[in-house]
Amino acid sequence: MIFFEPFQLPFMARALAELVVLGALAGTVGVLVLLRRLAFVSDTLTHTVFPGVVIGHIMAGDGGVFWGALAAGVVTAVLLTLLTARRRVSEDAALAVLLTTLFAVGVVLVSRQTGFTSDLTAFLFGRVLTVTEEQLVQTAVVTVLVVALLAALRRPLLLRAFDPVGARAAGVRVGLLDLVVNVAVALVVVAAVKAVGTILVIALLIVPAAAARALSDRLVVIVPLAALLGAAAGWLGLVASYEASIGYGLRLASGATVVLVLVGLYGLAHAAAFARRRAKLDQARRRVTSEELDVLEAA
Amino acid sequence: MSERAPTLVIDRASVAYGDVPVLEELDGVVHEGEAVALIGPNGAGKSTLIKALLGLVPVVRGRIEVLGTTPAQARRDVAYVPQADTLDPDFPVSVEQVVMMGRYRRIGWLRRPSAADRAEVAGALERVGLAARARDRFGTLSGGQRQRVLLARAIAAGPRMLLLDEPFNGVDAVSQHALLEAIGSLKEQGASVVVSTHDLAIAHLACDEVCLLNRHQFGFGPTGDVLTPERLRATYGGHALELRGDRVIVTQT
Repeated sequence: MIFFEPFQLPFMARALAELVVLGALAGTVGVLVLLRRLAFVSDTLTHTVFPGVVIGHIMAGDGGVFWGALAAGVVTAVLLTLLTARRRVSEDAALAVLLTTLFAVGVVLVSRQTGFTSDLTAFLFGRVLTVTEEQLVQTAVVTVLVVALLAALRRPLLLRAFDPVGARAAGVRVGLLDLVVNVAVALVVVAAVKAVGTILVIALLIVPAAAARALSDRLVVIVPLAALLGAAAGWLGLVASYEASIGYGLRLASGATVVLVLVGLYGLAHAAAFARRRAKLDQARRRVTSEELDVLEAA
Repeated sequence: MSERAPTLVIDRASVAYGDVPVLEELDGVVHEGEAVALIGPNGAGKSTLIKALLGLVPVVRGRIEVLGTTPAQARRDVAYVPQADTLDPDFPVSVEQVVMMGRYRRIGWLRRPSAADRAEVAGALERVGLAARARDRFGTLSGGQRQRVLLARAIAAGPRMLLLDEPFNGVDAVSQHALLEAIGSLKEQGASVVVSTHDLAIAHLACDEVCLLNRHQFGFGPTGDVLTPERLRATYGGHALELRGDRVIVTQT
């Protein structure tokens, strides 16, 4: 079976574990991003983590990437929280400036290194096949931390997302809660750096949640479904990349195949939602017609 | 009325966003079981006053006392009802979940809602006449029904004071009736109600007192005394027209 056989190789098994855990984590956090309409804020975080990755790499090699990303992620999560708490109108422009500035800093730093194209590619798009056991552990720890945090705060998070003023009126400390959310998103980006790179992680955050939302109106379904779709895309994307490389001699970056699988799943979810709406409409129409017939017969 | 305890005391209070004063020199007292209507044109500061009563906008001069303490400390016993159309109709929550939010303070973060919490939620929905819609998604209800759900959320919190921001805007007659009934029964239980509205008829119908606002206070007192053509003209500037002696219509809100 092509769906299982590649993972007998240890590096493939590690890559699979990394992508499945990461997909589930990003899917879960993505629901929050969707509800709070934080797609652009999340995208900003993906870009601002980049210079941290580069600095970490310069200072301590591959082992420094996680910690550099973590430092940059937490710092920008704090900055973003302050920035978005103050103003509403020009927020987009401020985010765009922050995003591009820090990204440019990262590019400048990386371009001073030898072998810079290869490094740049790795930072931007990830290299999941070289994931080590240490990185797997890091991803697992981040996942447990973030999921536990969100589960503990689920009620204030829900209230704040649904009704911000009502949340403040009910005594929820909105500023602190927003910081927690931004840090959670930053942690997902940090965890994803090695496997899918800083750029593609935005798809991992947004797409599974959006697909799950298309399939259900209930959060108790949406959250696990988003996690499942994220994990499934990680697995199928990896299989696709492996098959292309072994079977057809095509080198496809697995981060990108994961994203493409995700987009495919998103399309399917919308098609299913559309079909279900049509079926309901037809059903309602049939009921009306049969009632009309009854009325006619009675007359 | 005077033997009842005062629940809201406003004493020469001014409210400001940063350096920008929004409301100046307000005075008034509301007692247990009384309802006061905040009336004034758009931008008059009605919503700001409600936020000040919640402790979300600072009182820069004078004093506002809610339930015998500062607005921020009184929040536990105060329920806020936002305008339904300010909330995202696509948000994936059920009617029941929205009403349960009113219980969050009592439930805490981790505990599962108890049977008593569920009973309160069901009872609150019953009181606004929407028990049958408990499992529907919030956004599938009409504007007026959504407003009733938000009132049910406030009722489920068991408040001593209720603050409603424009609850009658764009609400159909059935929902308006249901809202008025529920507000009336809360008053009978001793809760104080502050409601901002454009609708003078509703102020007459549901409220004991009226506060006329437009940056300053143009009157605070029993509805019949305060809702006079002169005062309405003063509050609304040129946009209040007099009809046959004692009746007034407001041409621009």
